[in-house]
Amino acid sequence: MEQFLHELWIARWAIAQGLVVTIEVSFAAIILGTALGTLAGVGLSYGPWPIRWPIRMAVDAIRGIPVLVLILAAYYLLTFAGINLTAFESGLVSLTIFCAAHMGEIIRGALQSIPAGQVDAGRAIGLTFPKILVYVLLPQAMRQIVPVWINTGAEMVKTSTLLSVIGTGELLFRTQEIVGRNFMTLEFYGLCGVLYFLVNYAIEYAGKFAARRFALQ
Amino acid sequence: MSLLAIRGLIKHFGANEILKGVDLDVDKGEVVSIIGSSGSGKTTLLRCVNLLEEFDGGEITLDGTSIGYVNRNGVRRRLGERELARQRAMTGMVFQSFNLFPHLTALGNVTLGLLKVKHMPRQEARDHALSWLKRVGLADRADHLPSQLSGGQQQRVAIARALAMDPKLVLLDEITSALDPELVGEVLSTIKALAEEGTTMLIVTHEMRFARDVSKRVVFMDGGKIAEAGPPAELFGNPKTQRLRDFLGRASGHI
Repeated sequence: MEQFLHELWIARWAIAQGLVVTIEVSFAAIILGTALGTLAGVGLSYGPWPIRWPIRMAVDAIRGIPVLVLILAAYYLLTFAGINLTAFESGLVSLTIFCAAHMGEIIRGALQSIPAGQVDAGRAIGLTFPKILVYVLLPQAMRQIVPVWINTGAEMVKTSTLLSVIGTGELLFRTQEIVGRNFMTLEFYGLCGVLYFLVNYAIEYAGKFAARRFALQ
Repeated sequence: MSLLAIRGLIKHFGANEILKGVDLDVDKGEVVSIIGSSGSGKTTLLRCVNLLEEFDGGEITLDGTSIGYVNRNGVRRRLGERELARQRAMTGMVFQSFNLFPHLTALGNVTLGLLKVKHMPRQEARDHALSWLKRVGLADRADHLPSQLSGGQQQRVAIARALAMDPKLVLLDEITSALDPELVGEVLSTIKALAEEGTTMLIVTHEMRFARDVSKRVVFMDGGKIAEAGPPAELFGNPKTQRLRDFLGRASGHI
């Protein structure tokens, strides 16, 4: 125990840094992915076919590819296109794309579940379709998806562990480095697991609070 | 000149002809009810007037302006979204299923159009909306979400939402059909009050007694055409066509 505390003291900044990177990359990916996914969902629901089809193909392709492959592609393949990204940047790009594809599908489902009468009612008071989208449809869709969105958030935190393969200095990568130095496998991987759990527990808790806050009752 | 003039309106859904050349005029301040069995095209007619449906032939003129389409070099073209929205704002519509915005309070439902279509300042929109909620007897429910209101209250909010936009013409589409019987009265008396104030209304209804009480003219639609029209006393008291006699016989439970 004493040795663990000693090693923990030495590794404290590495762990804290890893945790910060995990939170940063996950949250940035969720925010950017949700923004991009909202556009995709709107395009899938209401776009004319020249917009809808490319989005549909991209969303299906991304959802069909393992995230690990996306991560490696963002890190290694983009170099051939002359785009040189750091490990953090490629991690963010791949997670954002992954999140956007899922959110696109979720938001499409939510938008399509809204009764057609809502659009009629918006039109009847003279709103143009873009305004109906912003003031009538998206607010309802967003309320509907809060629980799924939170779930996706927790999923992104877990998925971010895959970024360790390209050396994004997130929590799992830092833990691997620490364990590589002191060989205290059980203790430090255990700690790593507990930290992931705490982050996701906090997200779930915030999500439940938000779901109650935005309920339509 | 009449406020609303419909000439030779034709509407298809695929191969199915729903409206087969409808002519109808509504004068300013007039209340006209449309009756007829389901599938006769009543609701479709209203939706065409509010440009919620495209139509395939004929013309709708509102306050002297032909709406929905333009003729350019002999080609009939649907107007663009902005122009359609501007024209739709001239008419108000109340729906069978209320269609209130569930994420907005009663007040929010009424102010949305005032803020985003009429671009009223926030305080003015709020005052105007509250005065309308008061007129439909719901000033004390302004901060309630639709889910916290009864069906009759929701429909009265929908009426306030439509009327607050100050439309030239109000379209009511079977507004009591989705209500429990004991809630029908409060909605109909709201409409009656509006009729007495001179609001121009085109009403699709299954409530024969209401049609008789509130309208200056009643129109009987049958198979996508207007089969008979006239003052309510005449239409209900002395129906000329066999179809209307049959229809009134079937609907006698509602008279």
